[in-house]
Amino acid sequence: MVNLLATIGILAQTEAGEFLDGLKAIGAGLGYGLAAIGPGIGIGLVVGNAVTAMARQPESAGMVRTTMFLGIAFTEALALIGFVVFILLLP
Amino acid sequence: MRARNQHGGRARRPSRLRRRAFAGALVLLAALWFGTSPVAAAGETPGACIVEKVDALEFGGQRGAEALHILEETAATHVDVGAEEKLASFEKKLEGCLEAPNPILPEVTEIIWGGIAFVVLLGLMQWKLFPAVKRGMDRRAEKIRGDLDAAETARTEALEVKAGYEAELADARAEAGRIVDAARADAERVRADLVARAEEEAAELRQRSDQDVEAAKRQALSDLHSEVSAIVIGAAESVIGQNLDHDTQMQLIESYIDDVGSRN
Amino acid sequence: MSIFALDFPAVTHLFEWPDIAFTDTYLALNKTSLIYLVAMLLTVVTFGLAARKRSLVPSGVQHVAEGGINFVEQNIVMQTIGAEGRKFMPFLTSLFFFIFFINIFEVIPFIQFPGNSRMAVPLLLALVVWVVYNYIGIRSQGLGGYLKNSLFPPGVPWALYLIVAPIELFSTFLIRPLSLAIRLWANMMAGHLLLVTFAVLSAALWGFGYVPGLLPFFMLVLLTAFEIFVSALQAFIFTILTAVYIGGSLHPEH
Repeated sequence: MVNLLATIGILAQTEAGEFLDGLKAIGAGLGYGLAAIGPGIGIGLVVGNAVTAMARQPESAGMVRTTMFLGIAFTEALALIGFVVFILLLP
Repeated sequence: MRARNQHGGRARRPSRLRRRAFAGALVLLAALWFGTSPVAAAGETPGACIVEKVDALEFGGQRGAEALHILEETAATHVDVGAEEKLASFEKKLEGCLEAPNPILPEVTEIIWGGIAFVVLLGLMQWKLFPAVKRGMDRRAEKIRGDLDAAETARTEALEVKAGYEAELADARAEAGRIVDAARADAERVRADLVARAEEEAAELRQRSDQDVEAAKRQALSDLHSEVSAIVIGAAESVIGQNLDHDTQMQLIESYIDDVGSRN
Repeated sequence: MSIFALDFPAVTHLFEWPDIAFTDTYLALNKTSLIYLVAMLLTVVTFGLAARKRSLVPSGVQHVAEGGINFVEQNIVMQTIGAEGRKFMPFLTSLFFFIFFINIFEVIPFIQFPGNSRMAVPLLLALVVWVVYNYIGIRSQGLGGYLKNSLFPPGVPWALYLIVAPIELFSTFLIRPLSLAIRLWANMMAGHLLLVTFAVLSAALWGFGYVPGLLPFFMLVLLTAFEIFVSALQAFIFTILTAVYIGGSLHPEH
């Protein structure tokens, strides 16, 4: 019982921390949303152009696909960094 | 005999290996399924962590919440620097309970196990497994290539044989044509010969018959000539009763015959 | 965290597993470590069986191993390094299969945890790759040549080197391994979070009738299929990026 009271007492001291946590959560959500915009457009461009290239020259589709995945991987890294920040900021 | 033994040994070994692999995989899967249930993963909550930390605190001969109480009072008087420091470090510990561990930081034990796994895997792959599998693939590719080459050679040979047959067939056909042509020419020649010979014979026959006719005519004339002359001489001898000399006789006969001939 | 009576587990509880053996030592074994070991064993058994059973027409396990080797050779090595990259085939094949088997546990029933959503193996492999491509670069071009080629790419105006060289230094020696590790880790972590989210959602909405319960469940099924694809794709991308880096170290850009 005493232990529990002590625990509650300590937890109650962190009201400011809770406010901070709320800010963090907002920041995390906004941050990931913003970080996903650019890579979203970028991956769209990469895949769209890759499809055009494959349609124009179906015989080189294999090479284009490999390069497309490479491009996606590089572009996606930015969104993933946003995701990492989101995970790190999560309370 | 030896080959059969080898084959038997090789056929039996994979199944034993497979059974062992299966057993190992089952044990590991069981460990994964039952040893690490999600309930166990739920782990400690922040409250339990705090309670544990508070329970573990010792100060002023007391333990737990009493000790914390005494510690806070002591620190509040700002006399005991050690107590203040201890309180600060304790509060930091409690904050550690509230803060979730950073998920991006790897855990040392996992790195060690992962490293062991990867190093073992890389070593086995580099020195034994990959070359073995690759060798098998290369050998198969070699065999298939050899088979294809053999098939190609067989095909070329068959084509050559076929070309030979076709040439022979064409030869035979040409030969037959030639034979037929020759036969036709022979027949033509024979026919022409026969016709010519027939014509010749016909001509000969006609000629011979002409000659016969001529000869018969001439025979008849000469017969007539001698007959008539004999008759005439006989008649004349009997009439005249004397023999005319030969020259006069002949002259008379000639003139008579001429006379007869001109009357003819 | 509890929203609309939805009890979503804390993120750390999804990814951290208690030790089950050798507790409090450096060899403490938990679920993640077990997955690493199982993935290693799976690869070794796959290739071991394929190496022993040499039938003319491949089947079963042999097909997996030989298909993997062919895939790595045709789609990764030949496209990025060329014929001389064949000597890295064992390394790249091990990378591919190791990562793939660790990832695929994300969808294996009752295990359902991608080992690569813990930073340990991604970081370790990224460091191994970093050491490998730097070593190859130094060995094939010499230390000076390698540094010159990677820091001062030819064809850039002289003045720009002031900007390009630090960027290249940063990107080649720091960003490359970090992005390799983070790409794999974050992909698998995001995938696992998605699956958990929809699993929790379908469990929570099950009591509200068929339609709200089944919708997240279908989404869960679709995402499971998608995560199988992502598992293979991330293994492929990690391997092909490794091959690209090795190729860049072997032949400098000209």
